[in-house]
Amino acid sequence: MTEQRVVSPEELFPEVPASIFLFRSCTGSMEYPGTENAIKEVMNKLGVNIVMDPDQTCCSGYLLTCSAHKPEVSLAVTARNLAIVEKQNLDTYVFCNGCYGYNRELSHIMKHNPAYMQMANDVIAKQGYKYEGKTEIHHVQELWYRLKDEIASKVVNPLQGLKVGVHYGCHYLAQQYHILDDGGYPTFHEEIIEAIGGTPVFYKERQLCCGYSVGRGITHKEVMVQPHLYKKFKSAKEAGVELITTCCPGCNVGLDREQPNLTKRYEEEFNIPVIDISQLIGIALGVPLKKLGFEANTVPLNGIINRLGLERGESSL
Amino acid sequence: MAVEFYRPMRLNNLNSSLQQEIREACDTDVEMCLECGKCTGGCSNAHIFDYTPRKIVQLVKMGAEETLMNMDALWTCVACHLCVDRCPSQINIPRIMDYMREKAYHQGVKARRPNVELFHELMLDSIKQTGKVAETQLIIKFNLGSKQYLKDADLGRRMFFKGKLSPFSPNVKDINQVRLMFIRTPVHKEG
Amino acid sequence: MKDKGETTLVVGGGLAGMEAALKIGQAGYKVILVEKQAVLGGVLGQLYSSFPRWEDPQALLNNKLQQIQQCPQIMVLTGMSITNAQRDDKVYIVDLQGINQGDIRQIRVDAVVLATGFELFDASVYGEYGYGIYPNVVNSLEFEAKLKEWGSGHSEQIPPKSVAFFKCVGSRDRSKGKPYCSKICCMYTAKQAGIVKDMFPEAKAYVFYMDYRASGKDYEEFTRSVIETKHVRYVRGRPSKVLPENGKLIVRAEDTLMGVPIEVEVDMIVLAAAIIPSRGTRELAQMFRAVTDEYGFLEHETFNPVKAGDRVFFAGACGFAIETQGAQYQGAAAAAEVIALFNRDPQGGD
Repeated sequence: MTEQRVVSPEELFPEVPASIFLFRSCTGSMEYPGTENAIKEVMNKLGVNIVMDPDQTCCSGYLLTCSAHKPEVSLAVTARNLAIVEKQNLDTYVFCNGCYGYNRELSHIMKHNPAYMQMANDVIAKQGYKYEGKTEIHHVQELWYRLKDEIASKVVNPLQGLKVGVHYGCHYLAQQYHILDDGGYPTFHEEIIEAIGGTPVFYKERQLCCGYSVGRGITHKEVMVQPHLYKKFKSAKEAGVELITTCCPGCNVGLDREQPNLTKRYEEEFNIPVIDISQLIGIALGVPLKKLGFEANTVPLNGIINRLGLERGESSL
Repeated sequence: MAVEFYRPMRLNNLNSSLQQEIREACDTDVEMCLECGKCTGGCSNAHIFDYTPRKIVQLVKMGAEETLMNMDALWTCVACHLCVDRCPSQINIPRIMDYMREKAYHQGVKARRPNVELFHELMLDSIKQTGKVAETQLIIKFNLGSKQYLKDADLGRRMFFKGKLSPFSPNVKDINQVRLMFIRTPVHKEG
Repeated sequence: MKDKGETTLVVGGGLAGMEAALKIGQAGYKVILVEKQAVLGGVLGQLYSSFPRWEDPQALLNNKLQQIQQCPQIMVLTGMSITNAQRDDKVYIVDLQGINQGDIRQIRVDAVVLATGFELFDASVYGEYGYGIYPNVVNSLEFEAKLKEWGSGHSEQIPPKSVAFFKCVGSRDRSKGKPYCSKICCMYTAKQAGIVKDMFPEAKAYVFYMDYRASGKDYEEFTRSVIETKHVRYVRGRPSKVLPENGKLIVRAEDTLMGVPIEVEVDMIVLAAAIIPSRGTRELAQMFRAVTDEYGFLEHETFNPVKAGDRVFFAGACGFAIETQGAQYQGAAAAAEVIALFNRDPQGGD
């Protein structure tokens, strides 16, 4: 790789975009619609316009990890999705590490192999789409980091030292160029949490993969996922973590929905709620709770809401 | 014959072109491997793999294709990418795993983990039908198909009544386009 | 002794530089030995012990310092560095400046020996090892300083109960570090691990290696004695993670010989970081129109392993990682080249 791996947020975004295309995530929009909403609300407060398109499909990351089909289908799917974005002349912003990894890698393959670009375009041309390789793929977390100071200045509900543990997930930090950190010892989420008044906790298994990995979490999670998560939650609990943030709905599903199963299997309570970092920023910036969709969480947020002394609103949590 | 059984692995009988195949298909040359083991040291699941990432690279070097396609690690890798991230020679192990999985599936090699193929079929079906992954139906069909009828049923019930699982999922606007993509994409040689 | 007219500039007062200065001076030629630190000695002065004979490096250093003092041809300028150099026919006109900006001089020299030595690659690039984040993760030179402290008997620091040594941190790494092998780390790591076991017999020492390279006289025997007699545990596998737990550090790696992932809890981690040329070497070389390679090490001409340019020679680790004895050899070789140059054609053609 001749391109620079780690870049500063200013290099990623020389100017803050006025409008972005928000790429829906299959798991995200179905399991935790609050995340998508939180992003819209926070972007609104920061003055960034959001564009979406219901015609967009799943990024096809599930299919690739299962590797059970021709990867050419994924190329065509990606080309079609990104062509939809290009029609709006915008850059693509995802909020799922999986979408990020797969869109980046697949678009990279097409941009550097004209034969594949051609093949994908041949397939989607019949439906009137054309992918040119112009739209850049970003993750919403990068924009949060770039706008960290802006976010800090708009905080209305500081987190009062809430002990937050970060779960970065794997697929963002695994990219080979143009990312914020190479994964050796990332700190950019912790910096955002400090900026909104929380206390970041560097717990021992901070960088452990959640194990869910689009599929493994369903086909053989007792072997794969639960021991991983148990290790992770145990070290988080020992470090006094009150809340865990993620930036990937897949990870969120794993960390959040498995906790009751962990309690049953290992006879230990964790009760550590898991939300997306966008939702946490939403809380700090005063987005009404009913718009953040915490009803979708398995581990309830009541403790955190009470701790921060926030209004419940009409929804019960 | 008993004598044959105890013979050590003979290197010249193995698939010597596997390394070249991987070099072309996955754009990674395993000759650069320093055998340092940093990949395995950080691998999320090395403790349950039958062949650790470093050993997998060694298997490619030796051309032991059959071992690679039948190993359990193929289906328990979670693609967290820590191996390639830490590798001083940037050997793209996740890509090699993807390639071998694909190859194994297409050659009809049965996955060692139960229910993996069932899951794949259901997932693909779901996408063909609705353009998205409809998780409720997927899980129900998976449980039925793998005869684990009541697995997580309690969790599912709670989730359903809290509105977290919808029995219906909206279709993508133009589902025919998605279906056509499955039919139209030509077969190419790589991954 | 007949006073011979030529003057040589030796840049760098480490072992290679001192050796070169001594051999040229003792042959009767004038030498100006410039060192940017306040004292001579370079890395030699920082060492607690040496391989393969476990000798005291300070004895060697003192021997050289004494010889320098007794050699009237050598003028030592410490706390000074080179700011500019210009060629005037067969002579170099060199500007020097004191570190405190006070002292400014200009000298005329007939030949130059560059011996600026090395420093260690910044290991904080490897976030996974926690250098610069966890206080008990140090590099090998910092650890040598700790050995000196413990060895002096006056240390307040608590001795460690277990130490892990990581080799090849930044070396043999095409992705984030340098692709080359830094040559001496396998030997000095064995030395440091052996000393830990000697000083603290109850302590545990682990060395995480990819290979161990012991090519030199008595080197293999030295390393085997560290493993077999001093019982340092060698584990083959490059560590992948360092995690803090209850004030200790957990190292995660693979034992590649067994093929299983392993973990070990230690108090301290020593990183054998890659050897890189001292900062400023490239700029200095450019002043004298000497050639450097892509890593900043001085590059030698064909048929002449210590010559880097016209009337410019080099010795020691500024050319590539080298052990103590090698620095001495090279210093002497560079001196021989200078003397031969002066006698081939005194003040004449090269």
